[in-house]
Amino acid sequence: MTELTQGLARARAMLDVSRYDQAASLLANIVAADPEDSRAWCLLARAHAGKGQYEDAAAAANRAVILAPADDWPHRLASNAFLHLGNTMVALRAANEACRLAPHEWRAHICLAQAALATRGQFDTAERAAANARAMAPNEPDVHFVSGQVSLAHGDRKAARAHQERALALDPAHGGALNELGRIKLSRAHTASAARHFLQAARSAPQVSSYSRNIEVVVRRTVALVIYVASVASFVLTYLAMMNRLPRVAVVAGLAGVAVVTAGYGAWQLRRMPPETRPLFRRRHIVQALGVCYGAIGVGVLVAAVTPGAALPGALFAVTIFIIASRFVAYAMLRREAANAGGR
Amino acid sequence: MQPEQPVLDSLRKAVEAMPDDVPLRLHLATMLLKAGLRDEAIRQVGAILQREPGNASAMALLQEPAVPRPQEAAPQPEPSPAAGAEYDWSRAESEVGDVLPPMFVGGSSADTSGSGDREAAAFDVERSVLRLADVAGMAEVKHRLEAAFLAPMRNPELRRLYGKSLRGGLLMYGPPGCGKTFIARAVAGELGARFLPVSFADIIDMFVGQSERNIHELFSLARRSAPCVLFLDEVDAIGQKRSQLRNTPMRSAVNQLLLELDDVAASNDGVFLLAATNHPWDVDSALRRPGRFDRVLLVLPPDESAREAVFRYHLRQRPVAGVDLARLASLTEGYSGADIAHICETSAERALMDSVAQGTPRLIGQPDLEAAIGEVRPSLGPWFDTARNVALFANEGGAYDDLAAYLKKRRML
Repeated sequence: MTELTQGLARARAMLDVSRYDQAASLLANIVAADPEDSRAWCLLARAHAGKGQYEDAAAAANRAVILAPADDWPHRLASNAFLHLGNTMVALRAANEACRLAPHEWRAHICLAQAALATRGQFDTAERAAANARAMAPNEPDVHFVSGQVSLAHGDRKAARAHQERALALDPAHGGALNELGRIKLSRAHTASAARHFLQAARSAPQVSSYSRNIEVVVRRTVALVIYVASVASFVLTYLAMMNRLPRVAVVAGLAGVAVVTAGYGAWQLRRMPPETRPLFRRRHIVQALGVCYGAIGVGVLVAAVTPGAALPGALFAVTIFIIASRFVAYAMLRREAANAGGR
Repeated sequence: MQPEQPVLDSLRKAVEAMPDDVPLRLHLATMLLKAGLRDEAIRQVGAILQREPGNASAMALLQEPAVPRPQEAAPQPEPSPAAGAEYDWSRAESEVGDVLPPMFVGGSSADTSGSGDREAAAFDVERSVLRLADVAGMAEVKHRLEAAFLAPMRNPELRRLYGKSLRGGLLMYGPPGCGKTFIARAVAGELGARFLPVSFADIIDMFVGQSERNIHELFSLARRSAPCVLFLDEVDAIGQKRSQLRNTPMRSAVNQLLLELDDVAASNDGVFLLAATNHPWDVDSALRRPGRFDRVLLVLPPDESAREAVFRYHLRQRPVAGVDLARLASLTEGYSGADIAHICETSAERALMDSVAQGTPRLIGQPDLEAAIGEVRPSLGPWFDTARNVALFANEGGAYDDLAAYLKKRRML
């Protein structure tokens, strides 16, 4: 066994256990000593991609493509790198080339499905490539994971769920499949169930920040729904009271009732959520947003209770405007935090 | 033949990832010189000489003429005296030798004997001279080590009286570059035991079955060398979750490790197990069961006194003057030991480049170090992002309560 082969095998073992830095250093030495070996460049592309350095990964993969244009592996690596760089057309071209060179390699078809899914107007290609991959490797969890993504993009939630469940049957700790199941549940407004799936995904791969961010998305959506219902119900009530001159008692009781019912709904949702998510509901921006919403309703109750009868319609008009404004302020607070979380 | 840009870029990345790999840096410097990038080559040579002041290959490189770059192929005018190749280092050193002011403000100069900085070769059993007292700061870690590990080891009568078993090992976890290996050496020194450090790279092998054999030989060596502290660095790579190792040869290596750990537990005659990882959440849960690595210790970034000691250590063999270590330590809250090493290196690089540009050597001063602190950002952010996810969502059974408490205290949760 030559020194080069030994080095490549060591690098491969490092990549298997996610030692991307060590593998990249070893491979940098190897390609410096033997710059004509395409396998070394391919492994280097894998190492860079593992570190999230997709420009370097693309450069290494392109180098491998030049050295071994008839091999599908460099094309697949290039496709993956360009996909992450947002250059979907190049990614699609590279994936197509990989499929042409290795029509019986399921990885090439998965690569094509992913690239096509990200490219506008290529949905049929994605669907065909996913079906080909399933036919070639029915026991590979990644095949079902990507198939599920394709189905979800098509709007077929049932098929998407079936594919992700199959992926999980083959690999119970598949973070991607757990995350996709969470997305499917969230798209049907099953927030508690979605949170449970995102939580499992975050446990299986805590280094993937998007999984934990999705848990925060569920929390924000739940709170946003409570705020929306409370604000709209209060607005409708005050508007009707203003137009139809409802008695003062009805307005006060109605606003208090809206506050109690929506807060009760929020508490019920909180109880259904996994316990690990509960600290997220105590975050400052969540508490502040709820405070703004219920504060506005409280002001409405107070105004309705103490304003003299003749001035009540005018005061209720002001309360209506105030409640609408409070809803926008509360949403802005939630959105600002979402933007901060995205940048973290 | 001139090296191509992708090769140079790859080498640069590799050096960035492994800044202490001198042969790699030397290789990069050679390639840069071949490519005609003399300034950058000199910077790399400077970095090598900071680590290995007498490195003959690096000195030889300084004397080598650069290959002109294609666009610079035309004859150049006479080089300036500050160009670097003509610089007489030994003369410069002798010139400043007897005019150096005190190295540190308000403290003694560093001990330059260099004890404790030896690197263990793969599968080499060594005798550690370090003690826990040599670990600056980190009082909480020392206290927990004493209670969880050292006290039972050192008091066999009491241990027998209370029926305390010696089974199992200690797993240290925490952000990278925060002194886990140093602490492991100190533990070996405290126990008066031999020290057998092993990392993932020492064990993996390309032949199927060879990694398993390496693991077996490693444990056999530890038993033969008893009393011995067997230290498994990067245990998340050696003992990664088997669910993440589908279709890879490393899976059977994990099985072999479990087998050997059980053997040690059964016939524990002086083999003490220590392991370290940056990613405890990637360690196979079977490794954490009772009798294996059942005690866990969180090693956090260095506190202020530890940071001061780390600065002192990394500056001890460099020409420094008027450095206020206490101020540097207070400016580097949240930096790891490795970050501090990088700060020292960056400041040395600044002073070196300045000396080359001016043609006169000068000492590394407080402004160099403070400027370097501004340049070097703490590298622990990504680790804490993951740690936050673990503390929030994966703290099953309170396994990461220490971490959660720390993050809460730092308002990171």
